[in-house]
Order: sequence, then C-alpha cells, then structure tokens
Amino acid sequence: MMGARVMPLVFAMGLSKLVYSQDVISPVSIEGNQTDNNQTEVTLPAMRSSIDNTLNQASQKLKSSKVEERVGAAKLLGKYANAQVSLLLIGALDDSSELVRRAVMVSLVEHFNNGAPIYEQALVEKIFSKIGDPDVEVRRETSALIPRLIPGLMRSGMERIQVNGRSILRSVPGKLRQDLQDLANQALIDPDSIVRQNVLKHHFSLRFQMESQTFVRLLGDKDVSVLLVALDQARMYAAQSGTYDQMEALTKHSDVGVRAKLARTVLSLGRSFPQYRKILRILTNDPVDEVATLSAVDLARLGERVSNQMIDRIIAYLSKAKGLFGKAESLFYSLSALGSDAKRIYTALLEHPSASMRSQAWVRHLTLSEGWKNASSWRYALQDRDIKVRKAVLSLLRGRVEQINRNDLTNLIKSRHVEVRSFASELLLVAEKEVVKECFFDLLIDEDSLVRSTTLRALAKIQADGWVDLHARSLKDKDYAIQRAAMDGLLGDHKVGLPALLKYLRQYPAERISALARRELQQMGINP
Amino acid sequence: MRSSLLFCFSVWIAVFSHGQDSSVQMENTGAIRIMQLRRDGPTRVRYPDALPSLLELMNERSLANFDPDPLFIESLADERLFEHPVLYVNCDELPNFDFSSEENEALRRYMTLGGFVYLDAGIKASFLGTDLGHSYAAWEERAEVRQWFEQLFPDQPFTPLPRNHEIFRTFYKGLPGNEYLRLEEDQKRLPDTVLTFVEQEKWPQGTYSMVGIKVNDRLACVASPICAMGWGRDEFGAWIPPISFRVRESAEDFDETLQVASFAGQTYEVTREDGLKDEIYLVPGNRPLWVKEPTGRWRIFKYYSGEEISNYAHSFYARLGMNVFLYALLN
Repeated sequence: MMGARVMPLVFAMGLSKLVYSQDVISPVSIEGNQTDNNQTEVTLPAMRSSIDNTLNQASQKLKSSKVEERVGAAKLLGKYANAQVSLLLIGALDDSSELVRRAVMVSLVEHFNNGAPIYEQALVEKIFSKIGDPDVEVRRETSALIPRLIPGLMRSGMERIQVNGRSILRSVPGKLRQDLQDLANQALIDPDSIVRQNVLKHHFSLRFQMESQTFVRLLGDKDVSVLLVALDQARMYAAQSGTYDQMEALTKHSDVGVRAKLARTVLSLGRSFPQYRKILRILTNDPVDEVATLSAVDLARLGERVSNQMIDRIIAYLSKAKGLFGKAESLFYSLSALGSDAKRIYTALLEHPSASMRSQAWVRHLTLSEGWKNASSWRYALQDRDIKVRKAVLSLLRGRVEQINRNDLTNLIKSRHVEVRSFASELLLVAEKEVVKECFFDLLIDEDSLVRSTTLRALAKIQADGWVDLHARSLKDKDYAIQRAAMDGLLGDHKVGLPALLKYLRQYPAERISALARRELQQMGINP
Repeated sequence: MRSSLLFCFSVWIAVFSHGQDSSVQMENTGAIRIMQLRRDGPTRVRYPDALPSLLELMNERSLANFDPDPLFIESLADERLFEHPVLYVNCDELPNFDFSSEENEALRRYMTLGGFVYLDAGIKASFLGTDLGHSYAAWEERAEVRQWFEQLFPDQPFTPLPRNHEIFRTFYKGLPGNEYLRLEEDQKRLPDTVLTFVEQEKWPQGTYSMVGIKVNDRLACVASPICAMGWGRDEFGAWIPPISFRVRESAEDFDETLQVASFAGQTYEVTREDGLKDEIYLVPGNRPLWVKEPTGRWRIFKYYSGEEISNYAHSFYARLGMNVFLYALLN
C-alpha cells in the first residue's frame, strides 16, 4: 500500500538521474584513513553496466536468501541516491538479519547526506519506526537520523470538516503517530546511552513531551553526555514536579563539567523560576573554584550582591587559570555583572602570566577606572612584554588621552616598542607647546618610519613652530611614507602649506611623490 | 641562542617521564608555550579552539605545564621563534606556502638547533581539493609541503614513520577503551564493522599515517593528516565539532559487482603504506565511492556519523596530539 502511493513519484523523478553526493560541504568533518598520494587520473575501465542494470541486479540480490548478498546489495545501493533506490532500501528495513538492517540504515543515511532526502511521510515513519529495532546499531543510526526525518514526520495536512452544515477545509498540524510516539518514549529509556541522548536531544522537534518522571530519570542518567543534554532541555520541564529536586541533587554530582553546566542552566531558569536561584546559592559553596565563582557571578547577573570573600575566590581562581579559555573565559567575561565590584579583580589580574588575561584585564581595569585620564594608570601596560597587551591598551587609549606631561611623554619616546613610540607621536596633539618643542625631535629621528611619519602628521595638525619648513624638507626624504605624511600635512593648510608644496613641485616635478601631489591638488581645484 | 634552546630541551627532558599510567614529573619551570604560525591572508581558521583545548587537556591529563594560550607568529623570521621549542602549523590555514628565504633560513636554523615543527594537515590527498572538512590519510606529505622543505633540507626528504615509532606511544598507548571514553562497560563503543576496521586498518594500536624529517639524527618535523578537528572541547568538556568516519567495507560479491557497477566519475591512483596503489573511484568534489585494492579486492566506502563515532574520533585525535607534543619535548 505504502509502496503503491510513492511509486508514481519515483518514476516521475526518472531512473537515470543519479546524484552521488551533495553539492555542499558537509557540516561534519569526515575522517578517513588508508593511503593515497600521487593521485593521477587513469582511464576508466570499460564495460560498466547501465544504471538500470546495476539497480535491477542489486534489487534482486536484496531478496536473496544469502545474508551476505543482501548486505552487499544494501551497501551498494547507498551509492545511488535517488527516490527509487531509497524505496528499495526501506523495503528491506525489516530484514530478518541485523547485518542487512544495519547496512540498509547506513545506506539510507548516505542518501540523506547525498542530496536525496525522503519527505514522504509514510516512508519516513517506516524509517523512524526502527528506533524500536532490537539491534542497537540500527537504533543508534535511526536516532542519529532524527533531525533529517523531522520534515517528513511532521508534515502538516488538511482536513475537511462540517461547520454549521457547511463543508470547510482546515489545516492539521504535523504530529507524531501515537505508536511512534510510544516507541520514542521507550527510546528515552533505551539501554544504550547514545540512543537516549539522541532522542532526548530531538524530542522537542518531534513535538511530544515526555512524562516528568522520565525527564527526572534522564536528569539522573549515569551517562554524562545524556545528562548534559537533559540539562539543555530543563526549561521545558522546570515547573514539573521532581525536576527541581533532581537538579538540586546534581549540585553534588562528581563531574565538574556537569556542575558547571548546571550553574549555566540554572542562571537561565532563575530568570523565570526564582526558586532555582537557590541552586546557584548552593553552588557558590562548591569545592571547585570555577563552579563556585561562576555561580556567584551568575547570581550577580540576577541582581544579587557578591561578597568580598567570593571576590577573593574569583581572584584566586582567575589568577591560577592558565589563560583566557574555557570556563575561565566565561567567568571573566561575566564579571561585568559585578559592576564596580569587579575593579579589584581586574587590578589583581594585571600581572597575570597569560597575555590574553593581562590584556583583557588591563582593558577592563582602565575602562572601569577611566584610567586614560591619568598616565600613571596605563604607563605600565605599555611596558608589557607582550605585544597583544600593548596593542589592546593602545586601542583603548587612542583618542581618549587628553593630556600628557613631559616625563610621561619622554618615557614613551624611550620605549623599545615601535607601537608605543608611535603612540607618543600621536600624543603630541595633546601635549603642551613647550613639551612638544622639547620632545618632537627625538621622534623625528626615530629609526622607525611609522613613528617619524606619525610625528610629522601630528606636527602639521598642531602647526608647531617651523612645521612648514620641516614638512617641505621631509618631501625630499627617501622614505615614501615620510614623503606622503609631509605632503598630507602641507595639503591641509591653504595659507602656507600649499605654497610650499607648489614650490616643491616646481623644483622636483619628476619625484615619486610629485605625481600624487599633483593629483591631490587637482582634486582640490588647483592646477599646479 | 643555541645554548638557550639546548638548555630548554635539557630541562624538558628532565621533567617528563613517559608511560601511559605513569604520572609525568615536572619541576615548576613555568608554562611551556607552543607557537602557532598563523599568517595573514585569505584563509579560514576552521578550528580556532583546537590547539588551546588540546593544551588544556594535556595540563589536565598529565603533570605537564603548557600555557593554553598559543603564541601566534605571523612570520618564521619572528625572533620569538627561537624562544620556544615547538612550532605548530595547520597547513590548511596557510593562505599559501610562499616563504621568503629569510624565513626558510630561520626555520632551518630552528630545526637544526633543536626546534620541533608539527605540520598538521601536512598530509592531504589532492583530490580532496579545498575541502577542509575531509581528510584522507596518506603516507606522503602534500606536494606543497614537499616543495617547501626541499628548500630547507634538500638532502632530507620526508619519510614515513613506522607503526612502531615511539611517537605513537609517548604518553598514551593503543586505542581508547570504554573507560577512557566514559562509557559503561556493556555499552557498544562503535558499530562492529567500524570497530574492526579501526582496530585492524585505520588506527592499529593507536597509530596513524605520519611522515617526518630527521635533522642531526633527531626527528625534527612531522606531518600528519588534519588532527586539529579532533581537539576542540566546549567549556563543559564536550567534544566539538562532530566527526564522521569513512570506512572500507567488503561483501561477498563486491569483486564482481563493483567492477561493472554503474559509475560516472573519475578514478585516481593513490599510493598505500605498503607502496602499492589503490584505485579510488569518486565523483570529483564528492566523497569517494569505492576502491579497487592492489590485491584485486574491491571495497566500498561507507560513512558513519553519530555521537559515539565523533567521541571516539576526538578521543583518538586528542591522545595522538598529546603524544606528538610530548614526544616533541622529550626528544
């Protein structure tokens, strides 16, 4: 009956249309082994049979009395992804041999992956029914295939009903057949943890809700992977009896990852179900720092104050962290929830051995304290041994520093790091005239052209004494970056800069910078 | 500079003891920082969490003290190259293999002075093209890597590492069992056909296809198919991203059937571990379909995915990665 319904579709698609593989990259990584190399194309062997012959022979073998032949046929048919072949495979799903059923399921998965998904509801339901297969490998394959089966399983439909004597059509939402739902419920307590995990993960998409005691049981699953998935689904069952108690019991789970996940789950639940905040409070006493501190910060996100003692513990935990990764990273980026209480933590992390931790600590520390207002706050950050830290701090400071004194500027100029000296050049913009006068020369003779060119740009901007002569001379520099900075400076001043530039162009019409200068002037409406 | 590198190595050699169950002894000499070459250019960083996750795992599972924050260098001429003993390169993340003579000279000196280079994805079947989501293990470095290292060590070609090489058992030995995979004893680790293939052909005794270059009688560089895809973990310890298996399967009548089965693609000859050639049948850009082996046997490629497959692959790659990095420090 089922076959008769889909056959027209099969023939409509045609037998000759073969799709070997999907056109897009699979989202999963494929690992394969066994040799390769020196791949050279070779001519194809002749005498291959037609697609029809191949499929006919395979379909005959699929009915063979020999298990091995049926297995071979099922494996081969996986390579020909089209509706007709899928139908052949589905017909063999109830084979008496589990070896054949396994091969059939793997080949069907291959079809789904290779651009021949099955949407026919009856066929998809048949595949899904293998979630109750006696063989664990078949059940695993079926459960892993659930996301691909859902479009077919959940197809909505139309029904004709009588309203006040009138016949009308109305839509019927997609729903899992009751017997299949029973199988799915049974799969949630399957002896195999992979099956339990897969069905649990996708049961919401299958549009059924399990009984609360089943969920509670899964929350206590001995397999950590199942448990982690159950925590992901906790919101749906949070209000049901037993869920809270089981989640509270998880605060004593031996796996740190589970307790950390519990903290994260409860943070989310705590917004809608205030009683769950109690679990976070319990977790703040967890013996593992990362769990306790994460919970404390999560409580802060929910508006609760964090004690000084806990802040000390956060400092201790982050100070011991090897870097800004994993849970330490999650915790660090959650610290903003503490508001000004986090200042002390950031300050304590400024000397952290990890560059990533130091750089973020410096950025947060300076942001919270508005440290850019005082050079003494950021001076040490620019002496950091790691460029990552220096660059992060410089990004924050640029455009924010409003003043700089002689000593601080001199120290920056003496830095062995180019980006710091370049920053010193930028600070000429906010330094007092006298300070600029004393310091700019050191920057102009810097070994790095970026520092020199930045200095020139700053001097033009503030129109320091003698800047025009300086820029005019710099046009003759060998370094193109310097010439460019000098040109830009002169272009920016109509009164004295442009005449100096025009004079240069008359004297050196063929210099490298001259062509660019002429073009710039022409764009300004000046014909040199 | 030479003396500093040699000093570092002597310290590391002193602090590690190897063996699957033995605890690694380590003095508090500060964290070891692994360098990663990451160049600017049009390339995609596919597994950004891989190396930090692996380094963190090594800290968890052994008494080794790695800084999980890799030191990224953009150029091999970076002076910091000589401050750290191990350089990790994911060849799939390099926009190209164009290195200046200055960089090549620096790398040659680095390897000569005791540095170790791990070329992940340094082995890659050419028919996979630019598809970074697939790997196909081989026993020869990819052509670009060969051309690159010919400039450094013209007389030292890459050679395959034997299955009994120490690198495969530096810390972990063999394949992950149920206990390591955190599975109940009665749980099925993998589908039967997959487990058989893995144990007998894919990763026998936890080995893998790797090639290496010796410098001054020391293994100074190894290349492997992409392993980084197996190293990532999320903050709760779950493996990311999912990995599938490609498995060679046979059936009683495949020798006759696959010879004549309908096929509209191309074939590629590829060299095996034993030096003989497989004939791979595939539609370019897609996954290989089947293979004719030099013995005359035909086998079909089947693809397996799922939690258990992915967890197993991740566990294997993580163990292999640990073995490589710890070997690098010990030798």
